[in-house]
Amino acid sequence: MKRLRLLLAAATALVAVAQLHAAKELNLFGWSEYVPQAVLDKFTAETGIKVNYETYASNEEMLSKLLGGASAYDLIQPTDYVIEALRAKGKLEAIDFKNVPNFKNISKEYTNLPHDPEQKYSVPYMAGTVGIVVNTEKIKEPITGLDDVFSGKYASRIVTLNDNRELLTWAMRTLDLDINKVTPDAIAKARPVLAKWLPQIKLYDSDSPKTALLNGDVDVGVVWSGEAAILYRENKKFAYVLPKEGAHLWIDSLAIPKGAPHKAAAEQFINFILRPEISALISEAFPYTNPNTEARKLLTPEQLANPASYPSATKLETFRDIGKAASVVDKLITDLKGGS
Amino acid sequence: MTTTADPRAAIASTQRQPGTTGWLLLSPMLLWLGLFVVAPTAILFVYSFCQRDELGQVVFEFTWSNYARIADPVYLNILVRSLWYAGLTTAICLVVGYPVAYYIARSPVQRRSWLLLTVMIPFWISFLLRTYAWISLLKAEGPVSGLLEWAHAIATPLDILYTPTAVMIGLVYTYLPFMILPIFTSAEKLDNSLIEAALDLGANPVRTLAHVIFPLTKPGIYAGVLLVFVPSIGMFAVTDLMGGARVPMIGNVIQNQFGQARDWPFGAALGITFLALFVIAFWFLHDRGEVRR
Repeated sequence: MKRLRLLLAAATALVAVAQLHAAKELNLFGWSEYVPQAVLDKFTAETGIKVNYETYASNEEMLSKLLGGASAYDLIQPTDYVIEALRAKGKLEAIDFKNVPNFKNISKEYTNLPHDPEQKYSVPYMAGTVGIVVNTEKIKEPITGLDDVFSGKYASRIVTLNDNRELLTWAMRTLDLDINKVTPDAIAKARPVLAKWLPQIKLYDSDSPKTALLNGDVDVGVVWSGEAAILYRENKKFAYVLPKEGAHLWIDSLAIPKGAPHKAAAEQFINFILRPEISALISEAFPYTNPNTEARKLLTPEQLANPASYPSATKLETFRDIGKAASVVDKLITDLKGGS
Repeated sequence: MTTTADPRAAIASTQRQPGTTGWLLLSPMLLWLGLFVVAPTAILFVYSFCQRDELGQVVFEFTWSNYARIADPVYLNILVRSLWYAGLTTAICLVVGYPVAYYIARSPVQRRSWLLLTVMIPFWISFLLRTYAWISLLKAEGPVSGLLEWAHAIATPLDILYTPTAVMIGLVYTYLPFMILPIFTSAEKLDNSLIEAALDLGANPVRTLAHVIFPLTKPGIYAGVLLVFVPSIGMFAVTDLMGGARVPMIGNVIQNQFGQARDWPFGAALGITFLALFVIAFWFLHDRGEVRR
C-alpha cells in the first residue's frame, strides 16, 4: 500500500513536471532554410522555452498539414495571400500587440497591407520580390523588363519559376492588367502572350532555379530574389533587375493559428525576432529583404548593396487570394505547356 | 476446419479453403492490402466526387464535374502523350533488356551472379540522387559534353538536358532493371535441349529464336512490359528534374493537384481514372500471358 502511494506520488510529480514542460514549449511551423538555429538557441537560452521547429517547402504543404489538423502548431509563416485566405476562413488568432512592443521596428511600408488591412493577425518576417537574374557575361544587352527576356532572342536560355500564378501574373503585367483580378476575360487576354513565351523557356524550377544558372544551362531567369541574392554572393556577374512592368512583392509573416496551445510563447517569440540584433542575424544567414528598419541599420554596407536583397524601386504589388480561380490558372498553364 | 485423420483428405480440403492457420498466415498481407490499398483507394474514390473550397479543403458535396474535366482535350492530350512516352520506354527497355537478360541467364553460374549484381547495384543508391547525378552528367558544361567536344564529336556544347530526350534517357535508365530481371528469370528456366532439338531438326537460329526461345520466355516478357509500362506512365520526378517540367505528363498533373493547385477532388478523379486504365491493361496482358503459356 505504501509503495503504491509512493508510486502515485511519483506519477503525480511526473505529470506536474510534464505540464510545466508543456508550458515551456513552442511549436514553430516554418519554411525550410528560413530561421537560423542560432536564433532559436538564443531564444531558448533566454526564456527556457524549447522550440520545436518543423519545416515545409511550400504554402500549400503548410496548408495541408495545418488544415488536416495533424499537429498543434503555435506559429506559422505563411505568405501574404495565404494570410488573407486563412483570415477569411477564421483560421487565425488575433495577435495581442501589447505583448509585441518591438513591432514598432517594422517599416510602415510593410504594415496594413491588403492581406491584413488592420494589422491584427500577422507580423512581417522577411520580404522579397520576383525579378530577373541576368548572367552579364553571356548577355551584354541591357535587360530591363519581361518584354526583353521574352523577346525571342533568349529562347531556350531562360529558367523561370514553376509557378502557374507567377507565370500568368507576368503576362498580365505586360498587358497592364490588374494582377489580382483573375477573370475569364483577363485569362483570355493573357493566353496568347503566354503561348508565345512558354516555348522559349528552357526549364521551370521553383526549388532551386539558381542551379541551372550556375551550371551555365541558361543565361537569364525570372526567379525569387532570395535565389538571386545567393547567386550574386557567389558571383557578381549575376545581376538582378526588377522588371520595369512591375514586380511581385511577397511578404512572409508570422501568424498564430486558431487554437494554438502556446499563444503567449508565440507572441514572446515574435517580439524576440523583432529585436534589431536578432533580425540582423537572420538577414546575415538568409539575404532576403528585411522589413525591420532598426535591423537594417545594423547590416553591413555589402549586405545592403546586394541588389537582390535591396533592389531599386519599381511598381511593387502583393498577391491577393484568388480562391477557386486557382483551378482555372492551373488548367491554362497545363494546357499551354502540354501544347508546346 | 479439417479434423480428418487422412492426410491426403486434409491436404485436399485445405487446397479448397484455407483453414484458420491459412487465414492467420494470410492476415498480415490482407491487413496490408486493406489498410494501404483498399482503404486509400476508397477514400480517393469518395473524394473524386467531392468539391473544393477556396482554401482547397475537400467539401463533401456530390459532383460529376471532376470526371467531366478529365474529358477536356487538355488532359486527354497529356494522357495520350504519357502513354506514348511509357510505350516508347517499354519498347526501348525490351530491345535493350532482352539480349542482356538472355546473355546473363545463359552465362556460367559464377559469372551470372556477378552480372546480376551489376544490374542490382544502382538500387542501393537513392533514386533521386541518381537522377541528380544524370543532371550533372548531361549539363551543358558537364563531363559528357566536355568529352564529346574534346573528341570533336560535337561542335557546340551538348544540349539535351531539359529536353524530351533527357526524359527518355531518365525513364529508360530507371526502368531497365525491371525489364531485365523478369526476362532473366524466364530465360534461366529455359531448357537447353529444346533449343538444341530445334537446331537439330533444321530450324535456323532466327527461326529458333522466333518459335522456341521467344514463346518460352513470354511470361518474363509480359511481366517486364507490365513492370516498366505501368509505373512509367505515372512517373513525375524524371519529367520534373530532367525534363525541366516543360512537358507535363499525367503524373505531373496529378501531383500538381495535390500540391500547388490544391484541388484534391480533381486529383482523385484523375487517380481513379488512371487506376481503372491500369486494371484494364493488366487484365488484357495477364489474360494473354495465361493463354499463351
